[in-house]
Amino acid sequence: MPAPLVKIDLEFPYTRSVGPVIGAYLDGLQERRLLASRAGDRTLSPPLEYDPATGAAVEPELVEVGPEGVITSWTWVAEPNPNHPLDRPFAFALIRLDGADTAMVHVVDGPESALATGARVRPRWRDERTGYVTDIECFEVTA
Amino acid sequence: MVDVAIVGYGQVPSVRCTEITETQMVLDVTQQALRMAGIDRHDIGFTVSGSCDYLAGQAFAFVQTIEAIGAWPPISESHVEMDGAWAMYEGWTRLQEGDVDLVLVYSHGRSSPGTPWQVWPLQLDPYHLAPLGLDPWSLAALQARALLDAGVASERDFAEVVARNRANAVDNEYAQVSGKFDVDALLAEPYVRNPLRRHDLPPISDGAAAVVLASRDRAAALAERPVWITGIDHRIDIHQPGMRDLTRSESTTRAAQAAGLADRPVQVAELSAPFSPQEVILRDALALDGSVEINPSGGALAANPVMVTGLVRVVEAARQVRERGRDRVLAHATAGQALQQNLVCILEGP
Amino acid sequence: MSAAKDTRDDGPRIMPFPVALHYEMPAAPAITRYGEALIDGRIIGQRCTGDCGLVYVPPRDYCPIDVIELTAADDVELGDHGTIVNFTVVTPVQYPGQEETEPFARVSIALDGPGGMLQLQDVLDTPVSEVRVGMRVAAVWRPEGERNLDELAAGGWSSTGGGIEGWMPTGEPDLDVSRLAGKGF
Repeated sequence: MPAPLVKIDLEFPYTRSVGPVIGAYLDGLQERRLLASRAGDRTLSPPLEYDPATGAAVEPELVEVGPEGVITSWTWVAEPNPNHPLDRPFAFALIRLDGADTAMVHVVDGPESALATGARVRPRWRDERTGYVTDIECFEVTA
Repeated sequence: MVDVAIVGYGQVPSVRCTEITETQMVLDVTQQALRMAGIDRHDIGFTVSGSCDYLAGQAFAFVQTIEAIGAWPPISESHVEMDGAWAMYEGWTRLQEGDVDLVLVYSHGRSSPGTPWQVWPLQLDPYHLAPLGLDPWSLAALQARALLDAGVASERDFAEVVARNRANAVDNEYAQVSGKFDVDALLAEPYVRNPLRRHDLPPISDGAAAVVLASRDRAAALAERPVWITGIDHRIDIHQPGMRDLTRSESTTRAAQAAGLADRPVQVAELSAPFSPQEVILRDALALDGSVEINPSGGALAANPVMVTGLVRVVEAARQVRERGRDRVLAHATAGQALQQNLVCILEGP
Repeated sequence: MSAAKDTRDDGPRIMPFPVALHYEMPAAPAITRYGEALIDGRIIGQRCTGDCGLVYVPPRDYCPIDVIELTAADDVELGDHGTIVNFTVVTPVQYPGQEETEPFARVSIALDGPGGMLQLQDVLDTPVSEVRVGMRVAAVWRPEGERNLDELAAGGWSSTGGGIEGWMPTGEPDLDVSRLAGKGF
């Protein structure tokens, strides 16, 4: 007899509390606003609760950045997997939103030929937003 | 500081999908290491292993592997949810206490059972990164493009890394992917994650490895050619890929500094670079010039049994000292994505 | 400027993070032999050739006490009658995926014959209050054509799912289990 296949299916219905910084960020996404946190003279996007370079706590108030930004790195996903945010070919990219000192990761719609480091992008928002990073459906390269 | 040496090691060939259990692999590699050391399992004062339950799909999966090392009568044992190189770091630390002089370290990992695109994003920030399903290939590709944009490396450099590692792997019976490949032929292959091609990515591997550590007097008594760990350190970098310079590995440089790399040149470096551009970054971070032989084993591009890859680098570096007469070599392990966390150890002959 | 304070009336935001993971692996040779026998209506275990002499079920091709490899040559056919030597009554918590609603027993059974201990077995058609150490039970096999290995568990946690439905009390007088001490693992 050939070795039978052992199959395991795990499902974890995790829920996570988000705290005041991430919570405000997700509230912002739901309102179609891109927010960042401030630590010293640095503007952190996406917002973190502490500046990872210095360990300093961020200011309690977030600041608005973007909505446009610039691609600082990208890659083309020709065959998306079911966990990816889009079900058609797309790019993962590092995007430094206007006003931010750091880059966030998100997805950029094609075509592949439009993708380039230095290209300017703007967000395309989903109609239904729940306060999740995919409230941004994707970014698109501005004309 | 207690001097520590590697006096025994073992590994199994990495394969795409093993037919046996991880416990059976662990039995094999630990017996190899104990035999080489010339000791009985009852002589071991402390055991520590490295593995990741998420790869196996079972909570506390690592507990079953205790059956391979004989936990009756009860033994002193620990585990890290990390590459075995970090288990070795804990083993080395334990020996510093001075009350125990023999430590068994083992590591196992099966990447074959899981669905990679489901498992891997769970390693990332759950708010900003994991919900995007950001996979390791994409993250490595963002790092690769940053290297190209910075003018630090070319796609040809990546292909040359692949060709050299796969060619080195031909003589390594434990490697999974090997062969003589032409760089131009590699460059003609299509992208999988522009600018990465399939061969720039690591294979999916199942494997295991083990090491026996001994402190000074015991090591000298057990081995004609103990492999001394003269420096070991690890550092971690920022998690968010957009908040650090992906073209450099500052944590690797600092770990190497603390491990005393600058004291004397090394002859060989076994580097954990599962993606070809990462070898370029690591060579630069460690300031390795053309005199250093890189990855005679074929490295992580030839076999990538996740959670074991780093410990295998240590074993391969130890082989260079014990079996090939080298005096001073370096082994590197990495954890997290895009070289976020890095361990460097320096091994020397007597 | 945006206040970082959460301004919602219903308390702090909770973000869902559902995770679904699928794994597949070929059963190891020892489990494959065990599964083959299960389909055939037999339970096989493996006797250690080392000092402990224990019988393991399912076989695992090594002994965890003596730390030696075992092989198919060490396989041994086991009985499908036995004695309950331990049990627990689980009061089910209604977590997502939980199918049980009433308390149920899970028992350890020392098999007659060469030995071997099966864990987490189900006792059929028996009120939980009647399950007891010393109770004599017999396997209730699934009809031959309906046996399958879809429920075969990974690793060593002994599984009879897909072959044996559960165990029924035989009605024999209870056994004094002190004589079975040291025979199981």
